[in-house]
Amino acid sequence: MRQFLKTALCLAVLAGTAVYPAVSAASDLELTITAPAGAGGGWDSAARSLQEAMMATGEAKSVQVVNVPGAGGTVGLAQFVGSAKGAADQLLVAGITLVGASISNNSPVDLTQVTPLARLTGDPLVVVVPKDSPIKSIDDLLATIKKDVATTIWVGGSAGGADHILAALITKSAGADPSKINYVAYSGGGEALAAMLGGQATAGVSGYGEWEGQIKSGDLRALAISYPEPIDGIEAKPLKAQGLDIELVNWRGIFAPPGVEGEDLETLQAAVDNTVKSQQWKDIVKARGWTDYYAPSDEFKGFIASETERVRAILTSIGLAQ
Amino acid sequence: MDAINLLIEGFSLAVQPANLIFAAIGVFIGTAVGVLPGIGPALTVALLLPVTFKLDPGGSIIMFAGIYYGGMYGGSTTAILLNTPGESAAVVTALEGNKMARSGRGGPALATAAIGSFVAALVATFALAFLAPPLVKVAVKFAPWDYFGLMLIAFVTVSATFGSSPLRGLTSLAFGLWLGLMGLDQLTGQARLTFGVAQLLDGVEVTTLAVGLFAIGEALHVASRHLYKPEKPIPVKGSIWMTREDWGRSWKAWLRGTVIGFPIGALPAGGAEIPTFLSYTMEKKLSRKPEEFGSGAIEGVAGPEAANNASAAGTLVPLLTLGLPTSATAAVMLAGFQQYNIQPGPLLFTQHADLVWGLVASLFIANVMLLVLNLPLVGLWVKLLRIPLPWLYGGILVFASMGTIAANPSVVELLLLSAFGVIGFLMRRYDYPVAPAVVGLILGPLADNALRRSLQMSLGDPMIFLQHPSSAIMIAVATIALIAPFVFKGLSRFQQDED
Amino acid sequence: MTGMGEAIASPDCAIEELMTERSLKPANRPAVVVAMVLFTVAAVTYWDASRMTARATYGMGANAASYFICLFLVVLSVGHLFAAFQTSADKAEDADWKAIGWIAVALSGLIGSIWLGAGFVLGSALLFAFTARAFGRKSLVVDGVIGLVMGVIIFLVFNKLLSLALPQGPFERLL
Repeated sequence: MRQFLKTALCLAVLAGTAVYPAVSAASDLELTITAPAGAGGGWDSAARSLQEAMMATGEAKSVQVVNVPGAGGTVGLAQFVGSAKGAADQLLVAGITLVGASISNNSPVDLTQVTPLARLTGDPLVVVVPKDSPIKSIDDLLATIKKDVATTIWVGGSAGGADHILAALITKSAGADPSKINYVAYSGGGEALAAMLGGQATAGVSGYGEWEGQIKSGDLRALAISYPEPIDGIEAKPLKAQGLDIELVNWRGIFAPPGVEGEDLETLQAAVDNTVKSQQWKDIVKARGWTDYYAPSDEFKGFIASETERVRAILTSIGLAQ
Repeated sequence: MDAINLLIEGFSLAVQPANLIFAAIGVFIGTAVGVLPGIGPALTVALLLPVTFKLDPGGSIIMFAGIYYGGMYGGSTTAILLNTPGESAAVVTALEGNKMARSGRGGPALATAAIGSFVAALVATFALAFLAPPLVKVAVKFAPWDYFGLMLIAFVTVSATFGSSPLRGLTSLAFGLWLGLMGLDQLTGQARLTFGVAQLLDGVEVTTLAVGLFAIGEALHVASRHLYKPEKPIPVKGSIWMTREDWGRSWKAWLRGTVIGFPIGALPAGGAEIPTFLSYTMEKKLSRKPEEFGSGAIEGVAGPEAANNASAAGTLVPLLTLGLPTSATAAVMLAGFQQYNIQPGPLLFTQHADLVWGLVASLFIANVMLLVLNLPLVGLWVKLLRIPLPWLYGGILVFASMGTIAANPSVVELLLLSAFGVIGFLMRRYDYPVAPAVVGLILGPLADNALRRSLQMSLGDPMIFLQHPSSAIMIAVATIALIAPFVFKGLSRFQQDED
Repeated sequence: MTGMGEAIASPDCAIEELMTERSLKPANRPAVVVAMVLFTVAAVTYWDASRMTARATYGMGANAASYFICLFLVVLSVGHLFAAFQTSADKAEDADWKAIGWIAVALSGLIGSIWLGAGFVLGSALLFAFTARAFGRKSLVVDGVIGLVMGVIIFLVFNKLLSLALPQGPFERLL
């Protein structure tokens, strides 16, 4: 066993020397970013992208990513709030899903308890129907919902997630009772895609990027995106431009622990802001297919408060929160 | 013909010496990390993905293919030698494989797993290259009611792993099903059996259960008997290679396993475990020596291992043609492809045929490399059993718990692992089979979700299962498979009475 | 070694304490205990299902599966009771409870080490050394050092090469 480990180690060293290029560190920050999700997920890749960019730009000397998966991120958030209080070398990546999960899991902690540093990216959600559906526009969809909300079958990601919230908002603005929505939850956009292509659903909601291929090939018809403004390269128009007062962005941001203030906070804010404005970060965002949705600390703070209230209201209306 | 030319072009890139070395490194690291108990292929690929990024695109994709196939293969080695499956798809392999290893036939067991994986991956990669676009059209038509039918068939076949007593087998299955309830319900977000513990909201990881029941349970069991019946597995008895008879019994099982594994792997929610159960049951039914099952039948290793690897290639069908990741491993793979600027989806096969064929060629090379590297290693792996027992089991426990911590660094997870270890020990001691519990945990939530999604889509009308011919047929098959043995028993008793 | 083994080796000592019905033959006791455990689990499942609040708007709710498994467990429990009174189970072989105890210490060493923030390396050293002790090795120090080296190698591979953070204590921060 030890023999084998030694060999494995040697090989790993050989292969791994290229992973960490030496960087002339302009900063001596040694940071740890908590990704409240398992390796390979959205928050994990956001955390690792930020790690890559901060080290490439020299805004931090070393950055480590720690994965704390569980319960839509609430386990990681609770641990972060509990153990990192006041620590100026700890960061957390989180997003709108965590806002919803804190509410529907009745979690004792939520994002208003941590210190927002910056909003980073925001991806649009898209509303689609199968290609041979008689529904041609968002107005057709609204009419279908109004006619019979029960037989309008929606598919999308997990119950109480951003997809479910958007479907509920649309149902509500069609004049139907959102608590009567027939939303079939899947583990994510991928599994829901199969249900869309198989023709088992009336309409579907997912992150635009996840279904982009099928939309461009014509297998799915995109009716609208949930972003407030039109986006270059996306043909579907925003819901707002089509007369519905709905916007919902799947945003991700970076946070410091509670109790970090003064000079410590300024150092972290500067490091994050410089990283986000760098070319390296812009390249990563582009390569990953994300949409830039940057907002600085102050603006982000107000945004978190308003999102929390809004999400709570919608989840209550569909019966997922008290 | 165009396809063939592109494939040849892909190969000419893949066989360059530098790329062959990348393939070898990828396969080796993939196998080495995949061998560790508790570290499944998903984590292996996720961990090693960054290693490939810094190479040139051609080299990195070849190394990546090597890591993927290596990681898929690695799980079976410890399953066979130490009764400690590295991942859930290798649980079935442990059933017969470990019995073989204990009677000194670890060499042939590892060899049939390696060659079976090779054959399956070879056939399945061909199928991937030529059948993917039509196959995926059928696969997406698979609706919740069809999945429910498939799950019923899978449930009926589980009885093959029950051993001597149906009551004990069912109890083990019920334990797995009960664990499957734990966590947030996917459809409604309702928490089940979480007792207010936030860490339980995501449910029980199949890997944690499998590693706890098998690795830790086994260590406790061996330790408890150490004083009275010191266990000395015979490292090698006879040849470490497969005999003529082994070949004769293996090759059909490889092909059957492939035929089962590939299409189920291609289903958007098929997975790698279900084909291994189905293959095991089939081999037991078809074997000329069914009495050897339970004491080390080589078909019971050959079939499931082939099915496991064929389903790994099958997973690539929805991944490449739809951009649809159907397993944790596939989700990590998707991230990898995007890094190499391959955007899987409906346009990939038509617009970027060269990339597809380059990948297929890489998979072929990785597959050959896996065989070349692993057959000589069989001898080395078998020597693992010569490590003194105290160190061997000390090492197993360290690696098993490391795998759990690496995936989820939480004390709750470690407590679960230890609790499953104790339960695994008690189950072994009182002769309850452990495999059905793992099966129950995998199938339970899938069946639950499929059933309730169907009923939600039909607004509660149960006739939906019979209105669709495909699901009606599968439910009929499951019912017949369940009832037939009783009917035959009754008939034969009736005939005896006549005599 | 043997002396201690005999002292603790009464095979069903744990079960004996649970048992109240003295009239049963020892061979049947495991089945009765399993029946009782199954029934308890079924009751807990029923209690949990009965207090679920989320209702499915269409089709079945999340508690349907709970009730089904609850019923299944009750049936199995009754099955075990029947089996306990009808067939006599094979006598379980003797077990070395001391070895089991050492492994329990080994696992608690790891869990405690992670819980109290002492880090992964110390935890795996304890786990390795006490497990080896369970299998009859006497030199705890040597085994502890082997475990320590193994833990350090694993930690370095994961943290430095694969950038996946294993739990850190004071010792790991020095690495």
